[in-house]
Parts: sequence; C-alpha cells; structure tokens
Amino acid sequence: MSASDWLRDRLGLEALDHVIEKKRVPVHRHTFWYYWGGMTLFLFGVQVGTGILLVLYYRPSADEAYESVRFLMTQVSFGWLIRSIHSWSGNLLVGAAMIHMFSAFMLKSYRRPREVTWLTGMALFVLCLAFGFSGYLLPWNQLAFFATKVGTDIMSSVPLVGPFLGRLLRGGDQITGGTLTRFFGFHVAILPLCMTALLGIHLFLVQWHGMSVPPGVEQDTAAPKREMKFVPAFLLRDLVGWLAALGALALLAALFPWELGLKADPYAFAPAGIKPEWYFGYMFQTLRMIPARVFGIEGELLGIVGFGLGALVWALVPFLDAPDGRGPRARVWNVIGVLAMVYVIIFTLLVYRGAGS
Amino acid sequence: MRAALRFTLLAGLLLFGATAAKAAKDSCVECHRGLDEARLRAPTQGFSHDIHAERGLSCAACHGGDPADPEPSAMDPDKGFKGAPTRAQIAPLCASCHANVAFMKRYNPRPYVFSMGEWQTSVHAKLAAQGDAKVATCTSCHGVHGIRPPRDPASPVFKTNVPRTCAKCHNADYMKGHAIRTDQFALYAKSVHGVALLEKGDVSAPACNDCHGNHGAAPPGLKDVAMVCGTCHGREAELFAGSRMKSGMDALGKPGCVTCHGNHGVQQPTDAMLSAAAGGTCAGCHQPGSVAEQGTSAIVANFRELQGSLSTADSLLKLAEVRGMETGPGREGLKAAQDALVGVRAGLHSFDPKQIGAVLTEGAALSRKAMDYGREALRDWHNRRVGMALSLVVILILIGLVVAKIRQIEK
Repeated sequence: MSASDWLRDRLGLEALDHVIEKKRVPVHRHTFWYYWGGMTLFLFGVQVGTGILLVLYYRPSADEAYESVRFLMTQVSFGWLIRSIHSWSGNLLVGAAMIHMFSAFMLKSYRRPREVTWLTGMALFVLCLAFGFSGYLLPWNQLAFFATKVGTDIMSSVPLVGPFLGRLLRGGDQITGGTLTRFFGFHVAILPLCMTALLGIHLFLVQWHGMSVPPGVEQDTAAPKREMKFVPAFLLRDLVGWLAALGALALLAALFPWELGLKADPYAFAPAGIKPEWYFGYMFQTLRMIPARVFGIEGELLGIVGFGLGALVWALVPFLDAPDGRGPRARVWNVIGVLAMVYVIIFTLLVYRGAGS
Repeated sequence: MRAALRFTLLAGLLLFGATAAKAAKDSCVECHRGLDEARLRAPTQGFSHDIHAERGLSCAACHGGDPADPEPSAMDPDKGFKGAPTRAQIAPLCASCHANVAFMKRYNPRPYVFSMGEWQTSVHAKLAAQGDAKVATCTSCHGVHGIRPPRDPASPVFKTNVPRTCAKCHNADYMKGHAIRTDQFALYAKSVHGVALLEKGDVSAPACNDCHGNHGAAPPGLKDVAMVCGTCHGREAELFAGSRMKSGMDALGKPGCVTCHGNHGVQQPTDAMLSAAAGGTCAGCHQPGSVAEQGTSAIVANFRELQGSLSTADSLLKLAEVRGMETGPGREGLKAAQDALVGVRAGLHSFDPKQIGAVLTEGAALSRKAMDYGREALRDWHNRRVGMALSLVVILILIGLVVAKIRQIEK
C-alpha cells in the first residue's frame, strides 16, 4: 500500500474526491462576481499569514507597542514588507468583502434557501470591520489613538447599550494602555475565533447549496445552461485573480509603505484632519453632516440609530424581498441596492474632499 | 465663680462690639466716595479690588483714624489719623507689615518677607536718602489704592508687565537731570529676552528684575555680570568662569558676557558671531592675523563642517521620509548630533580648543551616523523597488502559466 493510499484510506479522501468531482460553477454573464468570494477568502488568508508573523515581534503594551512595530520595520529583514502587506491587504480585504456583499445583493443570491448564507456573510463583514477597527490602534501611533477615541466615543452614544459598549471596548472611560491590550486580545483571539466559526458555516453553506444563479438567468429558459468544473477550471481562474492581488499588494507595499507616524501621546492635541479608515468614512461623513439637532433629537444619536436600522433592514433583505426575485417588490430592492452603493461611494469620497468639516 | 462669669460676659460684649464694628460701614470710603474733588475721591475707586481690601484691611490700616466714626472727627490725629504718608514714609510704612513675618503669616503660611535692609542697598533707596524725590518707592511699581498681587496679570509687577513698569520712570523725559541711559526698554523690547517675554508671553524669559533685582534694584557690578547671566545660562557661565578669557577680561576691566553679547539689547547668538574677521564678534578685540584669530579659524572650520554634515543628514532623512521610509532611529541620531552642536555652542565659552575639539568630534561622529542611516534608508528604498519589479515579473509569469494551463485544459 502506498503512502497516498494509506492516507486516503484513513482520511476518507474518496468522499472529498467525490465532492470535488461533483462541484460545478454556473457560467453566465454574471459569473465574474463569483470570484469575489474567493478573493475575499484569499486576502483573509494573507491576513492570517502576515498577522502570525507580526505577532512574533509585536508587544501589546503602551510602553512597547510603538517601539516594537518600529523595530520590526527598521531592524527585522522584510519586517516592513510584512507590516505593509498586512495593512494593505486588510484594506483590500474590506474592499473585496464589500464588492462580494453588494454583488450578492444585486444578484439576489440571498433568496431561499440561502438566507443563512447571507446572514453569516453579513456577520463576517461586520467582523472584517471589527478586525480593521481593533488592528488600527495596535501600532499605538498618534493618528490611531485619536481615531480610536473618536470611534469609541461614537459607540458610547449608542442608545441604551452605548456607555457599556464604550467601557467594554476601552476597558475604562479613556483610551489607555489597557485599551491597547484589550484591542490586541480582540484582534488576535476573540475575532479570529468568531471568524473561523462563521467562515466555516458560510463556506459549508456555499458548498451545500451550490452557487446561486441570478433570477434573470435562472428564468431565461431559452438560453442554454452552461457550467464549469470547480476543480480545476474555476479554481485556476481564481488563482489568476489571487496572483493579481498578490502583485497589487507587492506594488502597494513597495510604492506606498504603510507609515508609522508619531507615537501616541494622550496629552497632545488631536492631529488636524483626523479621519477614520476609509471603510468607516461614509458613516463618519454622515454623522459630520447631520445637524446638531433634528426635530429636537440629537443629530449624532439619530445617525447612529439610522445606521443600526439600515444594517438590520440590509440583513433581513432575504425575508423582505420577493421570494422569486422578480416583480415590483424585487425591483424596489434593486433600486435600494443601487442607492446604497451610490451613497457609500459618494460619502466615502466626500471624506477625502474634506466636505462638511 | 461670679468673677469668672463677669469676665466671660465682658469678653463676650467686647467681641460682639468688635464684630459689629467690623461689619459696620467704613466711614472713610463712605465719605470719600461722595467728595467733589477727584483727587480725594479716587482712592475709593480702585480700593475695592485691592489685595489689602480683599484681605479685610481698611484705609485706617495705613492712614489711621476711626472708620467707625461717620463724622470728620474720624480724621482726628487723636484717633491715630496719619493722613497720606510722604514719599520717604512709604517704604517704612509698607515694611511695618510686610517685613513682619508673624503678621504676614496671618495671610499666607509662606509669605514673601520684605527686607528694609535689602531695600536700602538699592540705588532707588540710596538716592532717596540723598533727597532725590523722583526715585521709585513701593507705590511707584506696585500702585496705590488698587494694589494687586504680583501673580495677577493685571498687576504692574506681573512678569510681562515689569519692563513697561520700569520704563515708566526709566525714559528720557523722567530721567532728565540724571546721568543715566534711557534706551534700556527700547533695546530690551527688541532683544531675544524682550521678544520672548513681551511678544511670545514666555514668562521664563528674564524681565528687568531678574538681572537687576527688584527691591534691591541696582546695575550688576563688573564682576557680577557672569554670575547674573549664569543664573539662567549655567553651563556657559561655568565654562567661562574657568576660562583664560575670563581672567583676560578681568585684567582689562571688561564685563564678561556683556562684552560679546551686549546687555539690554542681547540678540539671539548666531554662528556668524564666531569670527575674528571684520563683522565677527571676536574682531572687536582681536586683531586680524593674531594667535586668537588663527585659533578661532580652526574651530570655526570644524564647526561649519559639523553644521554642514547635520544639514546633509537632515536632507537625506527628509528624502527617505518623502519616499515613505521609516527614519525614526535616524532622526533620533540626528537629534543627538544636533544636541552635540548645542553642546559645542556652549563649549565655546570655555575658549579651550581641546575641550571644544572633543565636543566637535563627538558631534561629527553622531552626525555621520545619522547620514549613514539616511543613505542606508535610500539604498533600502531602491532595493525595495527592484525587489518589487522582480516579484511582479515572477507573478506575471505565473499568471501566464496558469492562463496557458486553463486554455490547455479547456481545449
């Protein structure tokens, strides 16, 4: 018995062979959007790999965090590259997750029986944002310190649970070394644990239900139904995308290395033009543009409640849209999807134009 | 027992009477407030925010009399009325409280205690003793009937107000008939100290009293100058005190620091001062071609070299920063080299080529280290771009191979 047969016998690889052999991906005019789930997964893998390398040098305390990152960037061979790739890949990951989410929304991939797949996807997206928020503070530089202060202050304004949430995140009423250690714990233990569990369920459901076909393609009986094998045809195409993403990361890391800035000083003035990472930009800009009081209600509170309700409606869309994805109700949700995308793009751009400041 | 009871009753009545009198209106203020003559009315206007009034003292504390008496008899000399003190009486009058530690402790556990002895050493007191009626006394600087504590920014003796308060008397008009310079304020206002204090509000900069003293105000003597400057510029004064230059200047009767830096108009020292050639400060005493000039030239050459290398290191680090490189350790090295340059500037006051040379060598080594860091960062930046180009080539080849494989499979 060869070693391969020995392993196949013990690991039950026949069943896996069967799944691989059976798995097909529909081919139609929207197939391009299927690649974004794989792209998000690939970038998450890059995050895990580079993150593990960073943990080897990072020290999560207010006295040592900044110095350990600087040591990594200046003294450790390719340390700068690992940190730059981790930072850029984190941003590309959120971008890819957004494209994946909006394309799933517009192609109505959340329809029965994929409601739970959509819900786990939404939860994964929120986890990606939480990874970004917690990771941003870890270098303990001036910009991250004050951006986190603004972010946690906003969270403290959430009705009812806000003050508790703020203290839970900060480990007190102020951003301190304790907050840094706590964020490190979130970033490398709690969030990865949640991510692994949810990602496992999400990927299992994608395999279980197969790829969703958009209603327009599904109901076009005249067109021939085409598909390709997942292995190797689709996987190799995925690989082309991943290699392109790797090239983009190399380009970004070398041309625009992620800067470290000045060490956080709680007693210094907040730097001018402070703004969050781009993926929180549309929320930040909206809160900035809402008047201080609207119909007697505090503007910021109104904005936060609005975002909460918006996210809830967005998550519940599988239960609100037409089950077959066609008809007037479905068209209304298409319009809502387009408006949401336009809103996110325009308000994100406005942050960088300095509007409303 | 009965005697004790009587005593207690009497003491109680006296205490009640004293409290009632204190609570009663002050007849001095009541009357003077309504007088037609502005000169007599004026004291009541500023007195409400006077530190003495705030602490519960009344006009009678200085002028005597009976403030409980609502009639002009309140100003009866039999009731202790002294009237306005003469100029010569002012300092002793203020001293009667301010030189009394026990009395002042009622208002402040750590009081400033005025010393008549110190006051008498001042030029002001000496001239007053000679009958000069124009010289300053307590009220000239602190004001009268509206006196504020020195920590109050509205006080004429608050740090930033001191130069103008002195200039109220030390000007050409007031000083007519006195053989004294009157350009001090004009010079000071443009000096490095004056700009810092008057324009930037930097209260660590010296005002007139920091060099001349306040209650014992007098121009520093020839030998005192270095000590006066040294109270702030300690390192320079220490080096100068042990230098050959000090003994040389003493022999020639030249005041130490002032000879090169000036006094009231002292400017931010520049590196251009360091030259025995025309225009340089050393040229004021040392002849061209002298031993001093040769020694200075050697130091100046090394000094300029250090400045040049610091500038080069800064440019290299800036370029690396613009290109996105992390230069923190290089910047720290440069900061240490710049500190060494400051050390060289201080070290110049030793006028000892060996000592100056040692600091220059240390600065040059630190500066070279910062330059090396900048060059290394730029080399690294170049290597990264080459590495990126190579990795892109490898990735493109891999993409080409995968695309070829896809085509092969689908054929």
